[in-house]
Amino acid sequence: MIVAASLRALGRRRGRTALALAGIAVSAALLLDMTMLASGLTRSFGDLLGVSGYALRVTPKGILPFDSEAGIPGGDAVGERIARVPGVKSVAPVLGAQFRVVRGDSAGPPLFTMGIRPGAQFLYRLVEGSEPGPGEVVVSEPMSRLDGIRVGSTLQLAGGAGVSLGRRDARTVRVSGVGDFLYDYAEQRSLAMPIGQVQRATGRPGEVSLFGVAAADGVDGDDLARRIAAAVPEVSTLSTRELMREMDRRLLYFRQLATILGSIAMVVTALLISTIVTIGVRERFGEIATLRAIGVARGRILLAVVTEGLVLAAAGCVAGLPLGLWMARRLDRILLSFPGIPARMTFFAWEAERVALAMGLVIAIGGLAGCIPGLAAVRSPLSQALREEAE
Amino acid sequence: MLLSLALAAVLAGDPVPGLLVERRLAEAVPLGVGDTVRVRALASGRQPRPFVVAGVFERAADPNRIARNDFEVRFHLSDLEGLLPTHDRVDRFAVVLAPGARGDSAARWIETTALGTRAYSSTGLAERTSATFAVVSRFHDAIGIVTILASAIFLLCVMVIRVDERRRDMGVLRLIGVSRGTVFRAIVLEAIGIAVVGSAAGAVLGMIVARIVNAYYAHLYDTTLRFALVTPRIVILAALLGLALGALAGAFAAWRVVQVAPQKLGER
Repeated sequence: MIVAASLRALGRRRGRTALALAGIAVSAALLLDMTMLASGLTRSFGDLLGVSGYALRVTPKGILPFDSEAGIPGGDAVGERIARVPGVKSVAPVLGAQFRVVRGDSAGPPLFTMGIRPGAQFLYRLVEGSEPGPGEVVVSEPMSRLDGIRVGSTLQLAGGAGVSLGRRDARTVRVSGVGDFLYDYAEQRSLAMPIGQVQRATGRPGEVSLFGVAAADGVDGDDLARRIAAAVPEVSTLSTRELMREMDRRLLYFRQLATILGSIAMVVTALLISTIVTIGVRERFGEIATLRAIGVARGRILLAVVTEGLVLAAAGCVAGLPLGLWMARRLDRILLSFPGIPARMTFFAWEAERVALAMGLVIAIGGLAGCIPGLAAVRSPLSQALREEAE
Repeated sequence: MLLSLALAAVLAGDPVPGLLVERRLAEAVPLGVGDTVRVRALASGRQPRPFVVAGVFERAADPNRIARNDFEVRFHLSDLEGLLPTHDRVDRFAVVLAPGARGDSAARWIETTALGTRAYSSTGLAERTSATFAVVSRFHDAIGIVTILASAIFLLCVMVIRVDERRRDMGVLRLIGVSRGTVFRAIVLEAIGIAVVGSAAGAVLGMIVARIVNAYYAHLYDTTLRFALVTPRIVILAALLGLALGALAGAFAAWRVVQVAPQKLGER
């Protein structure tokens, strides 16, 4: 009954309560977003790495995938040695290069081009046509859509530095398919063609930029990475976990920003709730003193005040959750315009445990914020409280 | 270009080419002027070659490199070319124009010299390379709007509560003949006063936090870059925003009170 009376007091001051709820909702939304941001991109990146089943990457020693022009020489032999490691299901070599589409006397901007083994690749999914054979390419869906390139079209492609030096060594290729390139940013124009074709065109025979490695069912990725590293020590073998750790390192700024803003949101929530509850308690000082005078236990009164804070915080969370999700979508759209970020990734990943933790924190802060005025009310000398109320 | 450095204590012998080592790398290894290092390019797979550390340099503070924050070494162009598998190749040229020459015309002419060549003015290049920071800036703006919204609600809440607390006093003032306008102005002035004090405290706090943030990141990345800047323009903007929000919050709280009949202001 005492708790109910305390909650009714919130209803009596509707305008004030509504304002406080709005403030708590915004703070809770900000905290939710920062919680989602703290791990969102790394988690999303991890999901993307494993989406095609090739969860491990083998790169030149000390190099992250496509972080430099460095290549692995003797790619065929290295690929065979990796394939012989127990637990390896499949090995997919990739050679990255830049090609340009040549039209008449002009060459377009450089296009990211991947040399792949058509039977074992992890970079795209065919949406139309077939895997590329000799003299054929697969183009990315945005390239097909934006440049009007269809399956069966032909392109004049020039690779390497020759085109920049005025050597028009373009060759004609046929478009065999249109692919959904998993790691491309929004509207990126990309190409994929058999790796031998890229090696010949760029003068890098036998070279591979990286290998994607798929583990057999039930094989742990980290264990397999260690076995490959032991069998082929001249390269770096990176498990999904290691790549995510590196991603975490590079996105340290965002994680720290999320921590700072999340902390500020918690402080604002605490201030708002404690202000509202403190004022509410002061207004009901007389009622509280009377309750104490007629023998109501201090604990019950404290419980009523704390409940007030908890209810305010919980209601703020309920309003803040949809607001936070809406804000996350807007902020994600801004951050995904970062150059080079795959369009499939998200900066704000929904993780039920983390969201529950954020909301739980807000509610706990509500309870704590209620404790301060509650303790002050039940600890004040009863005679003084009654006298003040009478005056 | 990423290079692997294999250090070797080499006694004085044939003259070897020199290179410059970035200060952070020199401290991390450690290296000093006169030391000999063996260098090979990861891209080439060739045998390492010896170089003498001719000097240690401080890398220019470049926000574009801060995420990777790789160490750097600098070679004479011909020495670097000798390490790489490709010859007679450059990534880019920097071109200084003669006085009076027009950048646009020169860029267009350069682009006609070789198929696929692109020329950019320094401003154009800066715009292209700062795309990342434009995104970060937009993100900060969005977070700023949310923060302003939260602050505005908080301020409004505080003002409403303060005014509600003194409803009885306001009622008495009104009953003894103080006009609604005077009560309204008094509340708004009080709100502005709170906003001024809050803005001043916020500016001081902001400056302190900016110093802490800069010190932290300077230590973390070993850089002279400044991550947080509190400029006079930012302080003035924040103060004006605070004043405007304070005035609005005060006006809203005052409006709620002056709408009520004075005899009802004393009711609980």
